[in-house]
Amino acid sequence: MTDVMKARDAAISGALAGLAGGAAFGATMAIQGQLATVASIVHTDNVVAGLAVHMVIATVLGAGFGLLVSRQRARAGETVFWGLIYGAFWWFLGPQTLLPLFLGQPVAWDLTSAQTLLPSLMGHLLYGAVTGIAFVVLQQDTDPLWQRPSRSSILRGLIAGLVLGLLLGLPWEGLLAGAGYALIASPESTGPALVRGTVYGFAWWVFAALTVEPLLFNVTLDWSQKAAAADAHLMPAYVLLGAGIAVLYTWLGLLSTVLFTDDIRLVRTEAAGKRGLRALGYGALAGIAGGLVFTVVMAAVGEFPLVAQMIGSHSAVAGFVVHMVIAQILGISYAVLFRRRSFDLTSGIGWGLSYGFFWWTLGDLTLLPLFTGTPVDWSAAGIAAGFPSLVGHLAYGAALGAVYHRLERRANPWWQTRSKAVAERTVARRDQIRGAAPAMWVFTVLIALIIPMLVAGAP
Amino acid sequence: MEQLGWGAVAGLAAALPVGVLMATQHMVTAFPGWLAFAAYALVIGVALGAVARGTRQGLAMTASAGVLLGALGWLAFSLTLEPLLHGVLPTWSAVAAAKTYPELVGNVLHGAITGLLLHFVVGVWTMKERVRRAPSERTKIVVVGGGFAGVAAAQRFERLVLRGAKLDVTLVSDSNFLLFTPMLAEVASGALEPAHISAPIRSAAAHTTFLYGRVDRVDSVVREVVLESGEVLGYDHLVLAVGSVPHTFGLPGIAEHSFPLKNLADAVALRNHVLRLLEAADRETDPRTRRELLTFVVAGAGFAGTETIAELFDLVHGVSHYYPGIAPEEPRFVLVHAGDRILPELGPELAAYSMERLAARGIEHRLKLRVTEAAEDLVRLENDELIATRTFVWTAGNKPASLVGALTTDTALRAEGMDNVWAVGDCARIPVVDGGFHPPTAQHALRQGKAVADNIAAVVAGRTPVEFRFHTIGVLVALGHRTAAAEIRGRRFAGLVAWLLWRGIYLSKLPGVEKRLRVLFDWTLDLVFPRDIVVTSATPRKSKVRAR
Repeated sequence: MTDVMKARDAAISGALAGLAGGAAFGATMAIQGQLATVASIVHTDNVVAGLAVHMVIATVLGAGFGLLVSRQRARAGETVFWGLIYGAFWWFLGPQTLLPLFLGQPVAWDLTSAQTLLPSLMGHLLYGAVTGIAFVVLQQDTDPLWQRPSRSSILRGLIAGLVLGLLLGLPWEGLLAGAGYALIASPESTGPALVRGTVYGFAWWVFAALTVEPLLFNVTLDWSQKAAAADAHLMPAYVLLGAGIAVLYTWLGLLSTVLFTDDIRLVRTEAAGKRGLRALGYGALAGIAGGLVFTVVMAAVGEFPLVAQMIGSHSAVAGFVVHMVIAQILGISYAVLFRRRSFDLTSGIGWGLSYGFFWWTLGDLTLLPLFTGTPVDWSAAGIAAGFPSLVGHLAYGAALGAVYHRLERRANPWWQTRSKAVAERTVARRDQIRGAAPAMWVFTVLIALIIPMLVAGAP
Repeated sequence: MEQLGWGAVAGLAAALPVGVLMATQHMVTAFPGWLAFAAYALVIGVALGAVARGTRQGLAMTASAGVLLGALGWLAFSLTLEPLLHGVLPTWSAVAAAKTYPELVGNVLHGAITGLLLHFVVGVWTMKERVRRAPSERTKIVVVGGGFAGVAAAQRFERLVLRGAKLDVTLVSDSNFLLFTPMLAEVASGALEPAHISAPIRSAAAHTTFLYGRVDRVDSVVREVVLESGEVLGYDHLVLAVGSVPHTFGLPGIAEHSFPLKNLADAVALRNHVLRLLEAADRETDPRTRRELLTFVVAGAGFAGTETIAELFDLVHGVSHYYPGIAPEEPRFVLVHAGDRILPELGPELAAYSMERLAARGIEHRLKLRVTEAAEDLVRLENDELIATRTFVWTAGNKPASLVGALTTDTALRAEGMDNVWAVGDCARIPVVDGGFHPPTAQHALRQGKAVADNIAAVVAGRTPVEFRFHTIGVLVALGHRTAAAEIRGRRFAGLVAWLLWRGIYLSKLPGVEKRLRVLFDWTLDLVFPRDIVVTSATPRKSKVRAR
């Protein structure tokens, strides 16, 4: 995963990793009796033939994955995210497009087909995640960025997981997810950690709620749309769990650094200072810009009166004011969390989108009902009903991130540096952001858009 | 621009397989649908080209950016634009999204293929480009001097570089901080901490290369600046902003026995010296020596001199309760000035007011008189009056600290007689467009710094530099405790109002929020606590205190 990595090595490692991913995916297909579908590619319904075909495809795609991420300088934990997005993409390209074409059928691009293909999506995600992890394991000896998680970081993860788990009513899952987070965590600030945690939480929903628990308690594996819809109410919980663990994990790390580290080099790299104050102002401004974009959606959907209920009013004007105030506060929080984390427009929009999705889960699905006295509805229907708001939140995030980046770029270009040492640090940070963040942004947006549609009832 | 074109090509090329797929699946049938899809593909391709511009990002990054753009494109086109085109308000509901789901799949695939194509196209293109275009040279600019003008120029250059100017700026200064000179007198009186009125240049101009050192000479023929350390800096454009140094006109004893007040070290030395004298005077029994110890003379009644005498008065009387051996009427303060009134920069009324305020406190003045000689324990005036004193502050003359002789510039700030050398600040005589020269004050220096940066950028870009035009906005002089005089845009202020103005304006002009807060804290604590009398240097700079 360094620059010197040869394409051939990457392809071989990728192929081996793909083999591992394929085995995991194949196992779930065998349990659910879907191998025959794959076998139809070679015009038979023999399960063994299906498995063979499946493994060949998995190996080839794995090699492709290896080539894809070999240039990426991703940290170990981050390759998993590239694996996830790789798997998700192949779900679009494979079972929805190429497989039907091979069989001489129309492509399965409609929602109903996609819903019946939900098990396949889960399988592809599993494939991607396992391939990513296996790729990391294979590269372990040569990867300078790989660090074995220390005992204290696992303890941190456990504490964070337990706290969030208790809060969300998922204590055991929280503990496990917390320990797991320590493995994929990367030394980064709270904002990027939050985005990482959001994706991590979604992966845990697939892993724990949809996979392990049915396997453990019912000894079955059912990834069908019906089963997923039944467990949809756990998705926001797991997303919040993941994001919460990531944030708490990071903060506990900061706290322990502040309290117990005697080496100043490890404690702080840059003081907030006057530019920090200015950044807050920029955040508020960017928040206003995002809020105005969001207003279009809010007005079209007529959600202002609902927002106004937060202050006990029913008028649309009060709703607009409350909406703009919240937009500004979130903008400021964005500045705190993502200051100096966007180095070009794409990264600004990427962070903003991910942050918008997080606030859809926490704000629209959770806090808004709590504040307005309506019951929290995390069910499949509730998630589907929140879809317009999701679009608004994504638009808000995109505008927020873009405007904030422009403002920051104007006054405080952290990527423009004075010395070689600083330049190297900056390049390192940019590489770190590029290493994993794009996968997380894209994955966040993809799951944000398709999951509500897939789990909701028939269109 | 070229990259956007490649993006468009990639977008359209990627639209081909997806389009064929959609056509064979009877998703797009009519002609307008094709056109819309082609337009969509074009927009996505151009956007991806813009996003991926100039970055040698990996395939994964470009392809995933394509997927992201595809998903966002679905939101923007299928969910928003299409209903609008059909005359329906978009609802963004899950039902509407479900209906357009096929387009989401198509867009995601299209985005990924666009990214894939663009990556390889751009890869080939940038390689060619690298061969064709040598790395562009940045114009080398050296700024000498870390005062208001030099730092303002460096900051302006940073802004210009952000806007795309190809400049490489180095700032050379023999102090690594920007000193806020208007508050220097308050440091001399111990009201402010020295570090609080100075901002490190490395933080004030964070993106400029900073060199801590003294310039030995400038060779404008071969365009080189030679530092005392021997280091040689080549330049394309040189900005001289070296400021001014005290000028004693060769008068005997003055250079040796006077305290200048130009930099932080001067202010600290003066404060320590005064406190040491007070310590000595507290126990001194000889009346003549006591008079020497407790007499404070300032030569020059411009801003610096007037503020210094007022601040010295505040210092001595502010800490006198610590020294029971010194009677309140004993300390004597004398302001010597060659002109017929103090504060020539101010109007006659305000100058008269200032003199009256100082005189009311018992500060003596000698007008139309020059200091002709100074010794360790006395000062001689033009009229042969001898003032016995061990504290003689010289603010009566400054000369440009020029490395290359007297510097006169044209109105566009170019130094006369030298190519590609520019001069700003106190070291340069800069003609005003309608006659005369710009005064050597901070507000002019700041503007000159900015203007010279703009002018150099203009010359580098092949444009003509513009004339420097600026008129003094206002002048402010502090007259000690809660009193000041000010003239701002022709309006005159005096007393407490002027004092509040002085503090408010200068506080806001301090470089950086941090320093502003620190000075504000200093001032606030000053309301409740007495002035500090800690002597911070071990040995006197000059042996002004000695046992008799």
